[in-house]
Amino acid sequence: MKPKTAQKGNRLTLPLFGFVMAVLTLLFLSYKAYGLGLGMSLSEVKDAIQATPGPLSVLLINALAGFSVFLLIWELRWDAARVLLTVVVALIFGYLMTAFFSLDAADSLIRGEFRIKVVSDAEALTTINYGEKIATEFSSPQDAVSYTFAGRAGDVVSVLAYVDQDVELPLALTLRDENGNVLGEGTQATKTQTRAFRRYLTKKNGYVIQDFTLPEDGFYTITAQAAEGVEEVNAEVTVALVSDAPPLVDFAYNSKPVGAIFNKEKVSNPLREAEYHFAGREGDVVTILAYVSRPEVGMDLQVTLYGPDGEKIAFNDNATDAQVEQFSRELKSTRDAILQDVTLPAEGVYTVYVRPNPLDTSVRIKETIKATNKAYDAFLLGPLSRLNRWVVWIRDALTLILLGLSIAMVFRARQFSLGAEGQLYFGALVSGVVGLTFGNLPSYLLVPIALLSAATAGFLWGLLPGALKAYLGADELVSTLMLNMVAQRFYEMVLTFQLKPPDAGYTYSDWIPENGLLAPIVDVTGDQVTIAVYIVIAMVVLTWLMIRRTPIGYEIRMIGANIKFANYGGVNTKRTIMLVMAISGAVAGLAGAHLAMGMHRRLILNISVGLAFEGVVVALLARNNPLVVPFTGLLYAYLRTGAQVMERDANISSEVVRIIQAVVILLITAEALVTFVRRRRIRRRGTLELDMGEGQNGNGSLTPAEEGAHG
Amino acid sequence: MDNSLFQNVLEGIFSAAFLASVLRVTTPILLPSLGALISDRAGVINIGLEGIMLISAFTGVVFSAYAQTWWGADTGRMVGPWLGLGMGLVMGVLTAWILGFFHLKLKADLILSGIAINFLGQSATIAIMYELTGDRGNTQGGLESMKMPFIHLPKFLNDIPVVSFFYQVLDNQSVMTWIALASVAVVWYFLYRTPTGIHLRAVGENPEAAASVGIRVTRIKYLALVLSGVLAALGGVHMSMGYLGFFQANMTAGRGFIALATPYLGGGHPIGTGLASVIFGSFDALSVRVGSLEIPSQLPQVLPYMATVMALVIYALQNQLAVRVRTLRSAEGEGFDATFWSAIQRLSVLHMFMAMVAVFGVLVGVSMFSAPKGFLSLGTDWSTSTVFLYGGLIMAGSLFLIGVNLPFMLDVERIGRHPLASAGAMVVSLWLYLGLVFMLFVETTSLADHSVTLGFLIGLAVSIAIWLALGGLHLLQRNHRQPAPAQA
Repeated sequence: MKPKTAQKGNRLTLPLFGFVMAVLTLLFLSYKAYGLGLGMSLSEVKDAIQATPGPLSVLLINALAGFSVFLLIWELRWDAARVLLTVVVALIFGYLMTAFFSLDAADSLIRGEFRIKVVSDAEALTTINYGEKIATEFSSPQDAVSYTFAGRAGDVVSVLAYVDQDVELPLALTLRDENGNVLGEGTQATKTQTRAFRRYLTKKNGYVIQDFTLPEDGFYTITAQAAEGVEEVNAEVTVALVSDAPPLVDFAYNSKPVGAIFNKEKVSNPLREAEYHFAGREGDVVTILAYVSRPEVGMDLQVTLYGPDGEKIAFNDNATDAQVEQFSRELKSTRDAILQDVTLPAEGVYTVYVRPNPLDTSVRIKETIKATNKAYDAFLLGPLSRLNRWVVWIRDALTLILLGLSIAMVFRARQFSLGAEGQLYFGALVSGVVGLTFGNLPSYLLVPIALLSAATAGFLWGLLPGALKAYLGADELVSTLMLNMVAQRFYEMVLTFQLKPPDAGYTYSDWIPENGLLAPIVDVTGDQVTIAVYIVIAMVVLTWLMIRRTPIGYEIRMIGANIKFANYGGVNTKRTIMLVMAISGAVAGLAGAHLAMGMHRRLILNISVGLAFEGVVVALLARNNPLVVPFTGLLYAYLRTGAQVMERDANISSEVVRIIQAVVILLITAEALVTFVRRRRIRRRGTLELDMGEGQNGNGSLTPAEEGAHG
Repeated sequence: MDNSLFQNVLEGIFSAAFLASVLRVTTPILLPSLGALISDRAGVINIGLEGIMLISAFTGVVFSAYAQTWWGADTGRMVGPWLGLGMGLVMGVLTAWILGFFHLKLKADLILSGIAINFLGQSATIAIMYELTGDRGNTQGGLESMKMPFIHLPKFLNDIPVVSFFYQVLDNQSVMTWIALASVAVVWYFLYRTPTGIHLRAVGENPEAAASVGIRVTRIKYLALVLSGVLAALGGVHMSMGYLGFFQANMTAGRGFIALATPYLGGGHPIGTGLASVIFGSFDALSVRVGSLEIPSQLPQVLPYMATVMALVIYALQNQLAVRVRTLRSAEGEGFDATFWSAIQRLSVLHMFMAMVAVFGVLVGVSMFSAPKGFLSLGTDWSTSTVFLYGGLIMAGSLFLIGVNLPFMLDVERIGRHPLASAGAMVVSLWLYLGLVFMLFVETTSLADHSVTLGFLIGLAVSIAIWLALGGLHLLQRNHRQPAPAQA
């Protein structure tokens, strides 16, 4: 209980402060929802408002949201600050999480596809590579081809030569080493060889040097020509080099560029640097180009050339404007790298090492913060950025407020019933079935009937664990969790086997006919806020009346404060516990009806994914006070909608909002945090008066939040 | 009904392969159940088991996958599973410790903090998975997880006649299954044979009394939470690295919550908890087998949850009865008839069990009424009205069985006053259930033609025997000697 002296000072200032905050909220929400700008003239403002669908309803709902802020301050007084502080701390935690997830944001500067090319006027040293085949047209007996490749000691290679299908042409195929010694000669392919190389050889027209093991590192030459004694030659001769070993060189002079993608997104082990090899002779003058595949890629490349013995020959991380102009087909900007006119010192295999310019830590931090801010901007202002997002926000909030009310009720009686999820499923199922079956009834009959039956279904599904708890002593937490599963499976079964149209490939019911739907008051291209707004207002008022103004509400509060004392005081605790769990079920059933009749307009699989647990957060934040639930419901729905916007705009998983949720629960229930703060305040004031109210019970979060101030 | 299909399902259920699959699916329930048991016995119920399981399951996958990147394929393949297991355990302990810190140090409500831990487990795993793989569903695309090794028993066991059955059940089970089986013994030894375990139970019974004799209550509670975290982590790692081989969003699918219920079903004892987990495992495995019968798969899935609720009720009622008996014993002193009361206690459990099975019947009946189209494929010429008819029959029968057993549940002394009525109710219900089971069993043997008669005869004999063995004999004799005492 607040001491009277403290209250007197607050009597006028707090409501006034609340009123100001409410009006500010109304103005801000409407300003954003109507899409107004600061520089607009009066007529422009008028146009913008008129262009909004259902402008009066939007205004009304925003006014209600403002009023919920007033209620928060009026009801919780200084505790409101703690609620908001908790949310702010959790949001800061969420910011850090988002920053953590954005740590790789700077990677976008070093991400992208690149190409490597070696240009030279000199003749290429290697002309064929493992896995390559080259075709040449032979027109006279003197025609011959000769290809060179680089090989490692121990590589097992097979050399094939063959002519196109219908031509018979005996071929002479030889493999020589650098010094011209013949290492192997091709023989006509046997049947097994034909089968083994069926990717190349089709008939008995091939010549093969099979599985030759290279004796040492070096260059080898393949020659193929028509066999001696052949008179007339007119065929296409193909030479292929087959090996399982990785190729020693990746490209040759002027050949097709090679490339890959650096720091690919969402890959567990992205490519961060790359090495490519080419074979070069002493004295060859080469130009090496490393460039991004498309001008949009913002990656800054650097390239290093290493010699055959691993010594560094040249390095560059830029290109001059002149060079960009000269190699305009390849280089996109000066950020690309070029090694121009490098003279190779020896014969051998050269390595081109390429990677994006490493980023400074400061750049990384700056990029991370930039990305996090962008994500949080979407998160915190997203729901107001477009009217349809505003609609999603309000719609979600209505469901959450109903669930929050339902849970606040049972928590008030210190019953840890988490059955709202199952009751919601039953409410949705029953209202949907009623709507689908009695579609020909007029709307003013059908909607109330559907709502009532949803509430009844929820009531009964809450009555069950309530009775089990009250009369048999079965733990309500475990039993409600289990009954949730039962309800979900039951819903699934009826939906899959009974309501789904027989030939439909999806698991939805038919659309509920217009008569069975809640009438929309704001309609943004199909996204609707419905008359559920009024139902929710009524439920808030009714719950508040029940808890504050009726005998059963008094009993609920007594049970919540001290069940033994309530028993001595003559409260029928068993009946009250059963009833409060059932009534809470009825409210949760209504939330289900709102999902079916107001949001989805038909029954869908997984109509709620843990919504009831989010209701727990709503109720906890509101300190189980039904008049504060609208504010916390709106707040939490706002965060949820914002998280979805963030996921879409900034590619940060919307699960962040559930992590925030976990932090909120932990912080709001951690009583010792408050006592710690309070104790300091008391010490400062030198009195103990503030500690009177909560000294009695260990857990203030579930007890009636400071009663008596106005009730 | 397609007879051969039905036959297949039956033969599948009465086989070693089925038992092996029961063991496989029991493991991820058994491990967290033991964790729940320890935390329960210390009076700090750990609602966050589900979240801890998810976190450990995910950690295991991530580290076993990255082990291959860090140490190359060969070393990684060897070290990976154990690194995954180790890091999974570390994360499980850490999460449980956070829960303990908030509850014990910051005085947060234990249940609500547990809920928060579950939120954390569900959302953090998905968020990080999304960061690592770009997928919100599972890690199959981005992370190559490894599996815990499987244990092969020596082959020659398969040639010994009776042992071969157990060989077939136990061969090729994940090492985690063996760890789970061993954990039952370890937890039993810990709780009942070590000083710490005894302190732990004392703290759970009465923290103030425990504190007054010098037990450090907070430390014991921390220990209990951390141990439950270890066991839940083992279960989680089994889910992702023994059972499936990848992580899936919310893959524990409520097993952490089921684990909260099994200690109740198992009477708060490790071995009882183990048996309760096996019951859940069998239901799980059964729902897979029955799936081929083309009845809605949701129906068998619901059974374990319903069984948990029933178990809660039985547990609560039994607790009430135990308190009554204790009071009576101290009040009556010498005149207390211990045999009589233990017979009553045993028989009342049986009554409750009978009513519990009948609740399933009600559930089946309700399902047949609300989704008749789902059951049409059961018979070749079934129409909706046939389903309604059978549903009605099942419902009426079940309600009848509940009706005859309920009086004995609500007022257990009625069993003593009217032993014959109780015997009648019990034998009728037992007979029906057992008769059905034996009939189905006979169906798989060569005597299939006489299955109905044989089944119901065996059922009747067995049910009477069970009733007599559980204490009916004593009640009958006592009834002859003296009229039942009028109870206050």
